Amino acid sequence: MTTTSAAISQPLDTQAGVELMIRLEEVEKVYRTDRIETVALTNVNLAVRTGEFISIMGPSGSGKSTLLNIIGLLDVPSSGKVVINGRTINSYSDRNLSRVRNEEIGFIFQTFHLINDLSVQDNVEIPLLYRRSMTGGERRRLAQEALDRVGLSSRVHHFPSQLSGGQQQRVAIARAIVGKPRVLLADEPTGNLDSQMGDEIMDLLEGLNEQAGTTIIMVTHDPRQAEKTERIHRLFDGRQVN
Amino acid sequence: MIRHLLKLVWNRKRVNFLIMVEIFFSFIVVFAVIFMAVYSFDNYRKPLGFRYDDVWAIRVQNSQGMPEEDKVNQLATFRALLAATKEFPEVETAALTWLAPYGRGDWNSGRKSKDGSNFDIGQNLASDDLKEVLGLKVIRGRWFSREDDGVKNYKPVVINQKMADMMFGDEDPIGKNVAEPSRDNKPVEELRVVGVIEDYRNRGEFAEHRGFMFFRHDLQNSTEIHPQTIIIRVRPGTTAAFEEKLLKRLQAEASEWSIEIRPLTELRDRMLQQYLVPIAAFGLIAAFLLVMVGLGLTGVLWLNVTQRTKEIGLRRAKGATRHRIYRQILGEVLLIASFGVLIGVIVVVQFPLLDFFAFADPQIFAWAVGISLVMIYGLAILAGIYPSMLATRVVPAEALHYE
Ligand SMILES: Nc1ncnc2c1ncn2[C@@H]1O[C@H](COP(=O)(O)OP(=O)(O)OP(=O)(O)O)[C@@H](O)[C@H]1O
Ligand SMILES: [Mg+2]
Repeated sequence: MTTTSAAISQPLDTQAGVELMIRLEEVEKVYRTDRIETVALTNVNLAVRTGEFISIMGPSGSGKSTLLNIIGLLDVPSSGKVVINGRTINSYSDRNLSRVRNEEIGFIFQTFHLINDLSVQDNVEIPLLYRRSMTGGERRRLAQEALDRVGLSSRVHHFPSQLSGGQQQRVAIARAIVGKPRVLLADEPTGNLDSQMGDEIMDLLEGLNEQAGTTIIMVTHDPRQAEKTERIHRLFDGRQVN
Repeated sequence: MIRHLLKLVWNRKRVNFLIMVEIFFSFIVVFAVIFMAVYSFDNYRKPLGFRYDDVWAIRVQNSQGMPEEDKVNQLATFRALLAATKEFPEVETAALTWLAPYGRGDWNSGRKSKDGSNFDIGQNLASDDLKEVLGLKVIRGRWFSREDDGVKNYKPVVINQKMADMMFGDEDPIGKNVAEPSRDNKPVEELRVVGVIEDYRNRGEFAEHRGFMFFRHDLQNSTEIHPQTIIIRVRPGTTAAFEEKLLKRLQAEASEWSIEIRPLTELRDRMLQQYLVPIAAFGLIAAFLLVMVGLGLTGVLWLNVTQRTKEIGLRRAKGATRHRIYRQILGEVLLIASFGVLIGVIVVVQFPLLDFFAFADPQIFAWAVGISLVMIYGLAILAGIYPSMLATRVVPAEALHYE
């Protein structure tokens, strides 16, 4: 991995010997469309340790998704600093950003975003397609492993439309973890599921956090789920409130 | 990645089927036009066998037609006209023939080839000087000469290399009889090959390459088919002004005959046009069709990309670079095109297998298929470039913003 070693040695990244996975400093996001300016985030600071499971809460429109997208490198902040795994992201090339997304981050969405024209197996393999020098056999094996982990190994040849919502979200989780990322970002992963299915998904995420040590940041509206995480960050109108 | 694309294309077969059919039909049309063009071009490259610069054709016809009882007199007129042309210093040589090169009309016949198939040959008359006038190249034996005067039990003929190849293969054709055997076993007059010329493609550069045979006309025997044309070679630089002078002189010799003088270059232009116009017309239609198909394809692919922004956004979120997205979309287009083209090639290959294009070399066929492939893939790439570029502009955060 090519990395700027200068960033790693920054003192803020290690607090009492605990490694920081994600650090945001004074992040702001302003959406400009024609004459309307929407301030989605103002002065957001966030530090997430490796292996932490935190949740982000806040009313609709408070900037939760925006924040998650910035952490996941799907969007760029208008100002401020984003450090992921010791690397300061400011002006990466498309190639390097893509590689960090691919190797370090697994994204889970409220609406699953599975590709309907591909089987469960092929959906899960997608992140691995963008890895250099990985054989088809290896991809298949890793996808099977991930599907095993979410308890769907019997559905590999199904298509998304043949699965229940909970099963679809588990496929999406398998896809998020297939590349063994160190960070999982989940944007209301249970928002479209009934509470029983939601609990199953929560159990899965907790298991991943405990057993694989994956750092997880989850946006949720459900206080019950938020309480299961180590820390709750609250946003209101683009600002952190505590 | 190819496997992944194949699966994507296959699982979206309903949408892709239409694109495939469009590509298939385009391929067939393009192939037809390209085949015509390649075939003509290949003919064009083959030696013509004669020279047309500074050669004029004088078509001479008795306005009363050619009544049997008058043939002796008419032949005398021909001889007088021929002699009259030779009076002018501008005329280097002159000869008699039936039909001028590039002339309208045809005198043909059929023969059996060595391997038993039938083929067409063109025929014409030649007086001994025709070789000089047209610069015909004798490659075996000899051209007609006084030697052939007064032969009784056969007619001397000169054939082209193609006819010699077809009838005799590697054997020496000189001295062989090339008469067509009669069906009812009646004796036929022997046609004895005295020489082989490289070629004589009287219908021009674009015409089919066929066998050819010259009969000798000795200017004496009125029972033969009569010549209708005097061919002259003029000195280089001779202008159209001489045409008038010559016409006046000839008309004086045969006042009630119709006489028409035309440089071969003029006849040639007319003949080439006859071949080029349909090719150009079909080519134009095909070009329009390709533009339409190209625009249509661009539209379909464009729509396809806008309908798949979520998928593209997701792939970007999962680590696909812009370049990968570009390659994916273009790769899908090429894959679909390949299916269409594959079926097209399978269909088109049936033609030579069924002997439809027996007149053309397999090589020409292969070239036409190759060029058509390049054109169709070129079209697919052109149509795919813009939609693929659009796909790279998908912003993942926006594309994945839930509905
Ligand atoms: N692409 C965009 N262009 C303009 N404004 C945007 C864009 N995306 C988000 N916003 C605005 O930014 C603010 C925060 O949006 P965001 O989606 O982050 O909210 P959220 O907390 O995720 O809400 P929800 O709970 O409804 O998902 C909103 O006011 C929204 O209208
Ligand atoms: Mg949101």
